[in-house]
Amino acid sequence: MKVVTGVVGNDIHVVANRLIDLSLRARGFDVFNLGVNTYLEEFFDAAVETGADVILISSLNGEAEGWGREVRAIKSRYKTLDDIIMMIGGNLVVGSGNAEDIEPRYKNYGFDIVCHQIDLNTGLDMLEEFIKERNNP
Amino acid sequence: MSLLQEEREIILSNEFVESFDFAEVTEFVKNASKDLFISHHFKNKPKGKMLVQPRGGFPTYKKQFELSEFFVKSNVDVLPLTIDSNTRLNDYATAQKMLRLSEENDVDMLNGYPLINHGYRTTRKMFTHFNKPVSLRHGTPDARLLIETAIASGIFEIEGGPITYLLPYSKNFPLDKAFLYWKYVERVCANYSGLNEPINRESFGPLTATLVPPAITIVVQLLEMLLSLEEGVKSFSVSFAQQGSMMQDAVTSEVLMKMARHYAEEIDCGDAAINLVYHQWMGAFPTNKDYAEQLINMSTVIAKLVGADKIITKTREEAAGIPTKEANAKTVANTQYTLGILNGLPKIVDAEEEEILTLEVQAIMEAVFNDPADTLWRKVFNCIKNGIIDVPFSPHIINHNNMITIRDAQKNIRIIDRGNVPIPDRCFKYERAQCDLTKDTTSIVNDIVHDIGIMQ
Repeated sequence: MKVVTGVVGNDIHVVANRLIDLSLRARGFDVFNLGVNTYLEEFFDAAVETGADVILISSLNGEAEGWGREVRAIKSRYKTLDDIIMMIGGNLVVGSGNAEDIEPRYKNYGFDIVCHQIDLNTGLDMLEEFIKERNNP
Repeated sequence: MSLLQEEREIILSNEFVESFDFAEVTEFVKNASKDLFISHHFKNKPKGKMLVQPRGGFPTYKKQFELSEFFVKSNVDVLPLTIDSNTRLNDYATAQKMLRLSEENDVDMLNGYPLINHGYRTTRKMFTHFNKPVSLRHGTPDARLLIETAIASGIFEIEGGPITYLLPYSKNFPLDKAFLYWKYVERVCANYSGLNEPINRESFGPLTATLVPPAITIVVQLLEMLLSLEEGVKSFSVSFAQQGSMMQDAVTSEVLMKMARHYAEEIDCGDAAINLVYHQWMGAFPTNKDYAEQLINMSTVIAKLVGADKIITKTREEAAGIPTKEANAKTVANTQYTLGILNGLPKIVDAEEEEILTLEVQAIMEAVFNDPADTLWRKVFNCIKNGIIDVPFSPHIINHNNMITIRDAQKNIRIIDRGNVPIPDRCFKYERAQCDLTKDTTSIVNDIVHDIGIMQ
């Protein structure tokens, strides 16, 4: 399984990004890490280029929502990305918010898996579960 | 006119600079009070005395003045001037706008002092008034204009360097350009150093403050020192931050200082003063403010143990955001108190650890010197590009990120994957032998997560 990952927007917080990279590799994924400070288009370009199955976006500074809301519009310009799994995690709002409100909002933007302030391993378990269910419906 | 002077004229004919008077600035530096030069204090301080320096920068002149006044009242040795993020990225127009908004609305719209917009004529008034040495803290890859303005303002210590202000702070600013822009900074500092006391340059040892092994910290310190000394700088501070193990801090300072003197002599710069700066814990802080104070106090003890010439402080509000001037001044007073009562500290020596670390540093330095490029900065550039120097958790695209580190049972940082860094086999075996690597990889990643937040 190929995963494109990175931190969206003008966010330079790299520690969690490196840990996501390490954890995905430890679980046997092929990882294409775009690092911090990555614009939404770059994720989709990289997914096309690498033939990725998953795009895993993360955010620490909370600016992800401004970018996340454009996912459907931008993704629709690409022909081959209809089946790609869209996942997002981290601090998904500026200031404080609760997961019950945030999760449906992000699903509406076009994400399949939404992890607001969820432990890294729990999030990656959710990803593996999602992949398993999709393969054996 | 020399090429450097031509470049200076270009840099300083900037729309945000109000006529830079080279002759007047030269006269000012020549006649400036010795008290403004930290190099003068390093030279003349009583043996064992450690200079205490906080951090801090506010947008308006008024608030910066008040902060400095607070620091002076709490017995500060070195005043800080932290620069805002727009100025660091050379965006003086945004800094200008935010400064005006801060002044008009009495709300801070910048996370530091926009030095270019205030200008040197104004800023100099503040620092000659306090007559204390000032340290410029920023994070700027292209600091040419900033440094000219700082020295003209009476700021005679400049922090940073092409590696330490780039790899932890930027994703894609071109590294080769950073080397050339910092070469300009070194030359300007060197030229002014002949007029009065030397301008002190300081490297930023903490790097990403996230599981950086001592060998990498030391190599980067040595290389930035050499790049500075070869341009003629006569006073240089190497630095590192608390690492999490007292033993490792003691060994790091020992090896760093020995090798700094060794390599300075190798390039015939043995006459330059080399100082040691210790940063209180730079990683994630506890949110409990009382615990934060305990941590800060412990850092002070270690700084004394490693024989630092200067300590840079943190505050009890570290976990919550930019600290108030009250919290900042409190740390200065507390740190001075602790230093005053710390006497008769024993020297920690660990011969085996020292030998291993020395061998690692020598091997990496040798690989850098053996690079076929013609100048030191190109050699260093190539070695970062090919992963011979690899800084854990750097966000920069040029950094390999293939070295993996973890803490052992005593909380020493150990290298468990060396990537392309030429750690000798014997040392690598020793490092790995200190850790429990029988676990599965997911558990090891969980250990790394835990190791990053050990002080929380």
